[in-house]
Amino acid sequence: MANSHTGTAMVKEDSLILMKNIWKTYQMGVEELHALRDVSFHVEKGDYLAIIGPSGSGKSTLMNLIGCLDSPTKGTYLINGHLVSEMTDDELARIRNKEIGFVFQTFNLLSRATALHNVELPLIYAGIRAGERHERAKAALDAVELGDRTLHRPNELSGGQRQRVAIARALINNPSILLADEPTGALDSKTSVEIMALFEKLHADGNTIIVVTHEHEVAERAHRIITIRDGQIENDERIK
Amino acid sequence: MNFSETLKLAISSITAHKLRSFLTLLGMIIGMTAFMLILSLLLGFNGYVNEKVAGIGSNAFTVQRFNFDDFKDSDTIAAAQRRNKELSFDELDFIKRGAQMIEHIGARSGGVGRSIRVGNNSIQNVRISGVEPVIATIDKIEIEQGRFFSDTENNTAARVAFVGADIAKNLFPQGGALGSELKISGIPYRIIGIQVAKGTVFGQPQDNFIQLPIKTFGANFGGLRWNRAPNFAVTAKEGVKMEDAVDEVRTLLRIKRKLGPDEKDNFGIITPDAISGMIGSMTAVFSIVLLLVPGIALVVGAIVIMNIMLVAVTERTKEIGIRKSLGARQADILRQFLFESGLLSAIGGFIGLFIAYTAGYIITLYVFPTSIPWYAAVLAIGVSGGVGILAGLFPAWKAAALDPIEALRAD
Repeated sequence: MANSHTGTAMVKEDSLILMKNIWKTYQMGVEELHALRDVSFHVEKGDYLAIIGPSGSGKSTLMNLIGCLDSPTKGTYLINGHLVSEMTDDELARIRNKEIGFVFQTFNLLSRATALHNVELPLIYAGIRAGERHERAKAALDAVELGDRTLHRPNELSGGQRQRVAIARALINNPSILLADEPTGALDSKTSVEIMALFEKLHADGNTIIVVTHEHEVAERAHRIITIRDGQIENDERIK
Repeated sequence: MNFSETLKLAISSITAHKLRSFLTLLGMIIGMTAFMLILSLLLGFNGYVNEKVAGIGSNAFTVQRFNFDDFKDSDTIAAAQRRNKELSFDELDFIKRGAQMIEHIGARSGGVGRSIRVGNNSIQNVRISGVEPVIATIDKIEIEQGRFFSDTENNTAARVAFVGADIAKNLFPQGGALGSELKISGIPYRIIGIQVAKGTVFGQPQDNFIQLPIKTFGANFGGLRWNRAPNFAVTAKEGVKMEDAVDEVRTLLRIKRKLGPDEKDNFGIITPDAISGMIGSMTAVFSIVLLLVPGIALVVGAIVIMNIMLVAVTERTKEIGIRKSLGARQADILRQFLFESGLLSAIGGFIGLFIAYTAGYIITLYVFPTSIPWYAAVLAIGVSGGVGILAGLFPAWKAAALDPIEALRAD
């Protein structure tokens, strides 16, 4: 790890996301499977990045690492100055809570809970009091135009509405990054357009957004596209 | 995640599956009901024994020929019969003169059983004994009608009798027992007092007795010897501990009987504590066995809870993944499931306690005194909650240890 720093001399140390020589290796019996091989890149605050690649390319593994759901086998990962690659499970949970806002393909809302409660969840784990939580969650739902649906449960909402609840939840704790995994994968094309428009608005408001997708139409909305293939960065280009 | 949030979450999880929660709790409820019911019966029984048989709360103790230990087996009985002499009035006087710590001391003879007949009415198995007048004070005898006999009546061996309520009621159904005569073995006695009815203890009637002045009894029933030999009832002075009074009486009697320092007592002193201790040691094994059975039911209840919590963890793998992705730490997930199983089980314990309490109340009304002390109730809730937490430990640990990526992938 130490001898390969020269190859990433262009990386700025104060980047929001900083990955240096990241390896992720799975042990499959006697064989080693390298899901990521020596991946290095950085993301500045306020960027809108798409990570694209076919299935099996390693993009899901990369997303899990960016989202602090997993730790790299080798390499250095800094997010907002925190050295994530060396963290314990509980420290990672704290980073997920404070720094990452997840948006999943299948929304991942708690089906028994109301929209309001779903949005409140990250604040509960952040230790925010109930009164403040309710207010902030209501405001977040207002911001995604669901102010009149706060007490609905996920099964009483349309797909697009569910994804907007998930986006409100992702943004509630003012994370450093909004990390979306195939955010339109479960939506029809009309709703997809709406959600992508919402992402653009959020980007315009100053949020840093990373979208992981295999759809080119979704990726082309971003300002920068990283293409992953066989566990390596094949292409990294700024398009806007 | 704080206490009230975790509690709210546990409540909502339990109420989300009401039927399942109830069925899960059934084992706990049955176990706790049985446990508390048996406990309350045992405690009620002990209270009953202490009050009625051992006379706990009374500060009287008894000096008698034999000790409890003498009845261990036939050899010890035979040895005690050779060694231990009957108590005498000389010894009573010696103790009375020498003792500083005792309030009252009085002699009471062993009794004889007789059938008594007055006109067409008769009563079987009447216990007839002789007592000194002071026994009325020592026993705190309650008088319904008339009076107890006096020292003069005792000293002159007057033919007077103090009788239990059944004697008055059965032999004189039309009333008028007080002042009437009744004949025992052909000798007439005048009834001068009737005791307040006491009912029964373990089915033994407490009201079919006749007490005569001890001198009268000795003169008319063949002397105060053998099974009619006297024993002494003693009360300690106010402010004196019973064991100090017992020690004093023992020392005096040993002096009077000229026992050397190495010799064993050749008499027995029986305190209420000793009686309840003896009964307690007899019932202890019995109690443990009785409590073991519902104890097993509680264990089974705990296993049911563990099982359903394992199901809950599997069912909610996705939820656990979501919560972890949003920043829940392992401790948060662990606490969530421990709270749920603890609360679930405590609810079962509470319901069981409530049923046991209700059943105990009904039993007390109609059958037998029972009691559930407050500490047992608190313990029941505590134990059931604790058992639930224990049962939830493994499932909760499984939940907390889930890999967030794997968990999110679950359906």
